[in-house]
Amino acid sequence: MTITNVASEVIGSVWKVEMNVGDAVKAGDTIMILESMKMEIPVEAPVDGKITEFKVQPEDSVDEDQVLCTIES
Amino acid sequence: MHNRELGSEMSDAGKKDVAETPINEELYFRRVAALEMGGKEAIERQHANGRLTVRERFSELTDKESFREVGTLAGSGEYDENNKLVRVTPAPYVAGMARVNGRPVAIGGEDFTVRGGTTFGAARRKGGQGGFIEDLAHYYKIPLVNLIDGAGGTVTSAKRRGYVAFPGVHGFERSVQLLGEVPVVSAVLGTAAGGPAGRAILSHFSVMVRGTSQIFAAGPPVVKRSLGRDIDKEELGGAATAVDKAGTIHNAADTEEEALEQIRRFLSYMPQNVWELPPVVPCDDPVDRCEVALRDIVPEKRTQPYSMHDLIDLVVDKDSSFEIQPTNGKSVITTLARLDGRVVGIVANNPKFYSGAMDASSAHKQIRFMELCDTFHIPLVFLVDVPGFMVGLKAEQEATLREGMRAVYVAGQLTVPTITLVIRKCYGMAGMATCNKNDIDLKLSWPSGEWGSLPVEGGVAAAFRRDIANSDDPKAREKELEAELRAYASPFRTAEAFAVEEIIDPSETRPILCEYIALAEGRLRANLGPKRKAGVSP
Repeated sequence: MTITNVASEVIGSVWKVEMNVGDAVKAGDTIMILESMKMEIPVEAPVDGKITEFKVQPEDSVDEDQVLCTIES
Repeated sequence: MHNRELGSEMSDAGKKDVAETPINEELYFRRVAALEMGGKEAIERQHANGRLTVRERFSELTDKESFREVGTLAGSGEYDENNKLVRVTPAPYVAGMARVNGRPVAIGGEDFTVRGGTTFGAARRKGGQGGFIEDLAHYYKIPLVNLIDGAGGTVTSAKRRGYVAFPGVHGFERSVQLLGEVPVVSAVLGTAAGGPAGRAILSHFSVMVRGTSQIFAAGPPVVKRSLGRDIDKEELGGAATAVDKAGTIHNAADTEEEALEQIRRFLSYMPQNVWELPPVVPCDDPVDRCEVALRDIVPEKRTQPYSMHDLIDLVVDKDSSFEIQPTNGKSVITTLARLDGRVVGIVANNPKFYSGAMDASSAHKQIRFMELCDTFHIPLVFLVDVPGFMVGLKAEQEATLREGMRAVYVAGQLTVPTITLVIRKCYGMAGMATCNKNDIDLKLSWPSGEWGSLPVEGGVAAAFRRDIANSDDPKAREKELEAELRAYASPFRTAEAFAVEEIIDPSETRPILCEYIALAEGRLRANLGPKRKAGVSP
């Protein structure tokens, strides 16, 4: 079992979360959409696995490199 | 001195030939000593650390059998009481000329297996921070390749010399001068600090290997002594810091072989020197290839990003793009590529990263790339989707405004032809950094193009603050004003005024760009030679 932290590449805010804890994801799936510089930025799963935790919710502000959720694989 | 010739000398037949004349016996003995480098054990250690020896690197990088060594015999000889040679330790630096992609280069690199590649005191420096190899590149106007794997000066050299040297070795000015004359490339293939680290930066393209190479102004022991902090050398100066975060080194590679391949690739786009044009290669990708996919690559919804990398690949010659600094300053993409076999530099904003907004790191990256292309007569194509400078506290603390204006300043000084093609947004001062207003100032646009001093959203809120606040329904009033102003934002209205020169069908992008780049050749030829330095950049 490895836990992968999915971090934000940008400063912005969480617009919507597209998945739930426990959902299976494949690398490249969109987990949530951030809003940054008036643009919708999809956050994609870096690996295959299962979402174990969300560390943010809609409308939260996020910083560069901030962990958004974790994936177990 | 040919490696291959020496190999055959070492066969039995060759040995017999040279053994017949005593003078050649000594030459043979000394050449073999040079090839043995720091000895079997040191070579094994080098390999165990996941690294090649300097001679293996040369044969990996250069065309087969093309390396002609200079200074093979330089080193320290040990003699017995009758002055007979007992042993030679070769100099910790190997140099010579070779061919890369069929064209000559000057090449040098430290031999880490000999005294850790430390600076070598001889009558004349072989190379590294100025020496024979840098002079060879200067006088023969050929590219310089530095393979860096050495610790530079050590405090023990003061003991040998009897005094401490003043900073700045003689010959360093040559390394500086070369940056305006010939392509200089460097690979960091070990742990580089001090002088060798500085030398890696004095280049037009630099590459390092993830996991086996590090670069810093000073290593962990100095950090510990100066700041009392423990830090591991990979964290301090590995590729994650030096390439991805800082942009100190341009590109990272996963293996030494890949790093050397990147150097071959980079040099394939470069002329031999600033008095020549970059090489044109035959192209089997049709010039008139129209890509219908480009018509709907930009999403209708203005807030949705798309892949600028895909867009570039659809336009340029198949498999011809080579991205510089792909992991740093990611809101802009800088790529060397070809259009109908001719080299172009592509500067493209990346809507997937901060909407393509220019921040300090992407400004640095764009400036360096524009200067590279300008120096080596490579025309620039700007694929524009920039909403402006990056905003926010962090951006202001990083001097985004100043760095961004430097990009505008450098764009305004370009002497190579530039083509600006607006894909979507082109706003404000960051938009100014995507064209050369002092020149013919050729601006094309796709129908999806939009521009102005600042985007309508946000702009309306600022300019009509009182109007909006006094309205019965401020939200609705803001929307109304936005809709009114957006009508003026049609690119066709600007084309009516001939303030963009042409709006093109996206599918025609490749044929049109190929034509302009072919046209640029006469102009480039008329402006060969070194570029004038101008003024104080902001």
